[in-house]
Amino acid sequence: MGAMAEVTFDDATWERLFQITGGVFAPCFSCGVCTASCPWGLVGEGKVRIRDLVRRIQLGLDPDSEESLWLCTTCAACVASCPRGVDIPEGFLALRSQAWREGKVPRNLHAVLWAVHWDANPYRRPPTHRPLWAKGLEVKEFTPDDEVLYYVGCTPSYDRRIQKVARSLVEILKRSGVSFGTLGERERCCGDSIRSFGHDAYLRRYVEGHAKLFAEVGAKTVVTTSPHCYDMFRRYYPDLSGGFQPLHYTEYLARLLEEGRLRFTREVPVRVTYHDPCYLGRRNGVYEEPRKLLQAIPGVELVEMRENREQALCCGGGGGRMWMETKPEERFSNLRVQQAAETGAELLVTACPHCITCLEDSLKVVGISGLRVVDVAEIVAQAM
Amino acid sequence: MVESLYKPEEAKGLWVYLEQTDGKLEGVGLELLGKGRALADALGDKLTGVLLGDGVEPLAREAISHGADEVLVVENPRLDVYRTDTYTNALFHVVRSHKPSIFLLGATPNGRDLAARLAARLRTGLTADCVDLGIEEGTGLLLGITAGFGGGILATIKCPNHRPQMATVRPGVFPRPVPEAKRRGKIRRLDVPVQESAIQVLERRVGAEADLTTAKVLVIGGGGTRGDFRLLKELADLLGGQLGATRVAVDAGWAPREWQIGQTGYVTRPKLAIVCGASGAMQFTVGIEGAETVVAINIDGEAPIFEYADYGIVDDVFAFLPALIEQIRRLKH
Ligand SMILES: Cc1cc2nc3c(=O)[nH]c(=O)nc-3n(C[C@H](O)[C@H](O)[C@H](O)COP(=O)(O)OP(=O)(O)OC[C@H]3O[C@@H](n4cnc5c(N)ncnc54)[C@H](O)[C@@H]3O)c2cc1C
Ligand code: SF4
Ligand code: SF4
Repeated sequence: MGAMAEVTFDDATWERLFQITGGVFAPCFSCGVCTASCPWGLVGEGKVRIRDLVRRIQLGLDPDSEESLWLCTTCAACVASCPRGVDIPEGFLALRSQAWREGKVPRNLHAVLWAVHWDANPYRRPPTHRPLWAKGLEVKEFTPDDEVLYYVGCTPSYDRRIQKVARSLVEILKRSGVSFGTLGERERCCGDSIRSFGHDAYLRRYVEGHAKLFAEVGAKTVVTTSPHCYDMFRRYYPDLSGGFQPLHYTEYLARLLEEGRLRFTREVPVRVTYHDPCYLGRRNGVYEEPRKLLQAIPGVELVEMRENREQALCCGGGGGRMWMETKPEERFSNLRVQQAAETGAELLVTACPHCITCLEDSLKVVGISGLRVVDVAEIVAQAM
Repeated sequence: MVESLYKPEEAKGLWVYLEQTDGKLEGVGLELLGKGRALADALGDKLTGVLLGDGVEPLAREAISHGADEVLVVENPRLDVYRTDTYTNALFHVVRSHKPSIFLLGATPNGRDLAARLAARLRTGLTADCVDLGIEEGTGLLLGITAGFGGGILATIKCPNHRPQMATVRPGVFPRPVPEAKRRGKIRRLDVPVQESAIQVLERRVGAEADLTTAKVLVIGGGGTRGDFRLLKELADLLGGQLGATRVAVDAGWAPREWQIGQTGYVTRPKLAIVCGASGAMQFTVGIEGAETVVAINIDGEAPIFEYADYGIVDDVFAFLPALIEQIRRLKH
């Protein structure tokens, strides 16, 4: 700490901050493990000083840095090591909601929310183009007697690269004899961008409307491409259909594998390493299913990176960071692709659209050759 | 609540403020004429443009071809550049004597300044930063739908008892109408006293880089340029456009961060975007989603950018651009 600063405490600010954050920071005893485990520490000194911030809120002082509030990728690395179980990212998002009320929000984010509002996706693409990813695949609309509702998600619907993941999944489900359908043009954004920007007022309204849609169509088992949609449905959506069960596709495919419905017929001789998406691993505890799938593929050799499972390094794309620029020298994914390259793997396999985008981009920035980024679904489809 | 300076019964007509800078109309004024035309037709009312400046009468024709029935022109050397006091006073005078029912202005920096002053002086309300406009059925009142993400969500605002019903609208919200050269309308010169300004303009400095979001023509370079933006610059200058870049080009240090277009850069809506050596990742294309025409040049015929392009050229940028530049030069002569 530099020069001493004079601070004034007042009960009203304390009360306001306590209300906004719902008291999540109260149990903290200032050990500082969170600051030490935050990946921002890897790319710069003191960018996100979590303990300081938590202490300020406890004392009833507003955050002293607007910037660090928006840097958090909600990767939950801090949560995993906090001895007091403080849900730090939730607290950060709550403080973002206060920034919205004060109009102190990074450029661009308003426009993203408007896109969700008007077009039901954060990319300003027409809702009528949503089903185009499935061109030539014959994917039908969901009906209540289908086994699962396949919730595609915005990035897999519109991003050319990620469309390949959705298409692979359709192949897998079909070959495993699963009856499924999608919502077609009626599918809308899960709301992850709204939540991760911390706009809780809009989020509440949005989730309510969307949950009703699921109930209306009679969706129970909902399989998602993205761990972000999965996290939204699992943690933030009410069960209006009675038996609403969101699953990430790796969980569902692992189940199919166990039941003998998903079978591999082709050998894929390749050395792979697996990157745990934060929203699948740390946030929802799904570590083993994707690994089981990979290891069941004949020919696949799985090698782990130094930091795996609970320790996995975030790609940097969570917490709304996909819509905020990160300096090239501060991108976690640059470090992550290097870790992957060190294993000698040819494929860096992951299971999240944002991870794929960030990691592929980093391959270009860092200039690593001989390593490709693929999704679990892509390699599974290849082996069937 | 204080009453406005004139009553709803006295008010008539829909007005659009035609902001001009250096003898050129701001695009948002024309966009408002397009929307204003539709609203005026729904109300069975007249659409009037208001133009202030020095030597700006020729611009009135442009407004008429974009939908105005009539243009009120106030010319005075003291109105040569925008100053808060002279413009507010002059416009106040015009509004008070002609009593419009609705008055729309563009939410440009000067438009915001002017609208707020004017509304306060007229003792009326102002719906600022609208993202849409409508007419309430039955009452014929103006409905202003405003951006509410600074806290609430969407708000529809009306102004039932005060006149004029004022609103500002952000540039780019409404499409610009297709001009009809043959449209006819009236041009009325008004004699308005303009007193000396209390503000003295010492120097005017125009920023070196104009805002990418309002550029009409963008020439964008990606990884395929390998850092050589010289031909792109030549083309941009020839077309009166500006340069933009993908993140790969910016990360490589070939272009400043302010040129980055896309998901974490600027979202643009040019009339023409010429994309040179960019693969067309979605994180980039969201930034040109609003472009009217996209021309893509890429050596790889399979590049996703061709799905977004209206015109696709499968070629080396450095082979194609010189030929294009030469053709444009020739056509210009
Ligand atoms: C969180 C996040 C945010 C992002 N935000 C943005 C953003 O705001 N804007 C953005 O642009 N990107 C953004 N990206 C990066 C994006 O994913 C892509 O990596 C990037 O847009 C690719 O840029 P590019 O097309 O220039 O480069 P590349 O993908 O490397 O493509 C180069 C292209 O040039 C072609 N080419 C090569 N040589 C020639 C030649 N001589 N003549 C013609 N063509 C040639 C190639 O065929 C290739 O298609 C973001 C990524 C992440 C992870
Ligand atoms: S969630 Fe991740 S990025 Fe956010 S503060 Fe915790 S460790 Fe840092
Ligand atoms: S790790 Fe937990 S207890 Fe320790 S300082 Fe951080 S929030 Fe507080």
